[in-house]
Amino acid sequence: MKLAVLSDVHANLEALKAVVRDIESKAVEKVFFLGDAVGYGANPNECVEIIDSLCEIKLLGNHDYVALGLESSRNFNPMAQKSIKWTQEQLTDDTVARLSDFEMEGSYLDFYMVHATPDNPLEWNYILGTQDAYDNFDHFSQRFCLVGHSHLPCVFRQEPGGNISASASNEPFLAEKKVRYIINVGSVGQPRDGIKDACYLLIDTDEKRFEFIRVAYELDKAQEKMQNAQLPEYLITRLASGK
Amino acid sequence: MPEIVVKFNDKVIERVVTEKKRISVGRTKDNDIVLENRGVSRKHAQIEFTGEGALLIDNESLNGVFINNRRVTEELLRDNDVITIGKYTLEYHHDTDRPDRAGQMDGTMILNTKQQKQLVEEDQRDRELVSRVGGTVLIGLENAGIAEFRIDNEVTTIGKAKFVHIKAKGFMLSGIQAKIVKEGNEYYIVNLGRKGKVKLNGDTITRSALKNSDIIQVGKTTFRFVEDK
Repeated sequence: MKLAVLSDVHANLEALKAVVRDIESKAVEKVFFLGDAVGYGANPNECVEIIDSLCEIKLLGNHDYVALGLESSRNFNPMAQKSIKWTQEQLTDDTVARLSDFEMEGSYLDFYMVHATPDNPLEWNYILGTQDAYDNFDHFSQRFCLVGHSHLPCVFRQEPGGNISASASNEPFLAEKKVRYIINVGSVGQPRDGIKDACYLLIDTDEKRFEFIRVAYELDKAQEKMQNAQLPEYLITRLASGK
Repeated sequence: MPEIVVKFNDKVIERVVTEKKRISVGRTKDNDIVLENRGVSRKHAQIEFTGEGALLIDNESLNGVFINNRRVTEELLRDNDVITIGKYTLEYHHDTDRPDRAGQMDGTMILNTKQQKQLVEEDQRDRELVSRVGGTVLIGLENAGIAEFRIDNEVTTIGKAKFVHIKAKGFMLSGIQAKIVKEGNEYYIVNLGRKGKVKLNGDTITRSALKNSDIIQVGKTTFRFVEDK
């Protein structure tokens, strides 16, 4: 069975549509979403509607949480604050109601899912290095933990002896026996690993095969809409550099 | 004839229609209007009916007398003025016989002595609870997994999701069905999830300010809001 795991769409409708088209071409059975449907981009309502209809498990990210007014934006950088304020003004009642049904954690088969970290999902910490991964491997019982949040696709492995290693390679891989994994699925709507194409994770559960899929999208159009919405310039230009 | 409507927590507990020249207001039984509450002095205030009108006089009470939220020592009352003494409000009406007031007279239920006593006792218990917990509290009434929950966060979430602060039950309830937001000293309840699932004192709301003793219903779960004021 094939699963597609999406995260950090950030209201980038062009990137999301391109990813949905790609998923449709790949005989995917279930789609999961790991949070941050909104924030940064110009189409929060449209993105939430697509994610809500498409995905079987839907999680909240920190931007969604702040957009719902459940937490202040004071921990955001000034650009993120500006864009979340704009987002809050755009959200329709329908979008708010849809987001209010998103979860904080999810699980399916041997997969545990969370936006930020398993140890305390509402703290919105990052898993960036092996120490962060080490701190989190004990906080989920499943073999695989799928996360988003950092927008950096990467893989952390926990060997049976407890050793932890990290890999930022975008190459497909097969899960090794008795090894546990924390996998960051990358970002659909605002990649930051230097590749501007939208990113998602494709999983073949029979083969235990994992592949980061990159999809080109109408970047100019996404940027133009952000310009029209007068969203911060840096957020617009970073889409083109993927950083 | 002049009329004074006495309310406690927005509930009418007494209507006083008087022909007297002077009525006294205070905590002890020998007053014409007895207000049983710690914030009320024994001989708190008096109202004198003179040729010029009704004169409200504060008898140098500890906690003062307020007309329309303004502290006064001595002042002529105007029709429909709201006098606040402790936790009580006294609405002053010049003339109870006016035709436009006739309907209102019949419409409002006045609490009997037992009910008044219950109201005051309930308030006393609430004050003790708020003092013990150290802040504003939601008390679980029906189908609530909690007895009491101190809501000192900027935002308190209520719903059926695992991660919300307070769990609620009910059919088709959203994960985060509602939030209670603290803005300055005020609290507001907001329905985030599916429409019609949050009620305040029986009415469906989308966003509403909370006041003491409000009954909040989220799905099948009910709470009472007890403010630390």
